[in-house]
Amino acid sequence: MLKSELASHFNHALFIPELKATNKEAVLKELLNLFVQEKYIRNPAIVLEMLHQRETLGSTGIGKGVAIPHGRTVAASDVLIAFAKSSAGIEFGAIDNKPVHLFFMVIAPPNDEGNVYLQILGSLMPIFNNPENCKRLMAVESFEEFIGIISGE
Amino acid sequence: MAMNDLERLVSLQDLDLMIQEADEVAKLGFAMTGYAELQKAREELAMQIRKPLLSRYERLRAKLKRAIVPVKNDICLGCFLRQPTSLAARGREDEQIFTCENCGRMLYWLD
Ligand SMILES: [Zn+2]
Repeated sequence: MLKSELASHFNHALFIPELKATNKEAVLKELLNLFVQEKYIRNPAIVLEMLHQRETLGSTGIGKGVAIPHGRTVAASDVLIAFAKSSAGIEFGAIDNKPVHLFFMVIAPPNDEGNVYLQILGSLMPIFNNPENCKRLMAVESFEEFIGIISGE
Repeated sequence: MAMNDLERLVSLQDLDLMIQEADEVAKLGFAMTGYAELQKAREELAMQIRKPLLSRYERLRAKLKRAIVPVKNDICLGCFLRQPTSLAARGREDEQIFTCENCGRMLYWLD
């Protein structure tokens, strides 16, 4: 997936420049709440259950201060990504045991045209191999600025 | 959370898709340490679903890959057929499980 295409899946309504949450459970809920507010999801409890199960499978805290909670659910009709940042950092059980600052929540329906969901997960991962990107994302304040980094500008 | 039959089926399929795609997601670089634990959670959830309903789910899954699909704007997102208005009103309110007349999948109303 091209960076510009990845960028097109983000939405300014699903963007939190500074999280209120201070623990793992609260982060998942705060992010999910965005999807509810924007009417993408009606039943957050079902989606939260799925995200808990996903963490059972393995932490989505991939290290370097990044977590990508994700999954497919019957309770969603479109592939959606939310972004949130915590300057203080949150204990998320990440694979490197370090606190997480950058959160990307990817929710997808049971099936999607062209398997966009896996392509999105695949194209997010390499972004964090570049420490410069992580540093810039940590300082991000506006959605426009954020999209610039994701697009590789 | 206290779930009804429909919600249990939704959760079961969410789990089944997760298990099914675990290898592909692992290849992208995600750590998968709890595969056995997730299998166990799947079996425990399946035990809470009435036998005939579970069999129906398993049969549909074997035949159509997705046994239960979202309905949005009255469209079945399994086969994209519009559902009759009478069914749509009941599908939203009732605890009963409805199926798409066209593809036979069980329906979960999103709106
Ligand atoms: Zn159908």
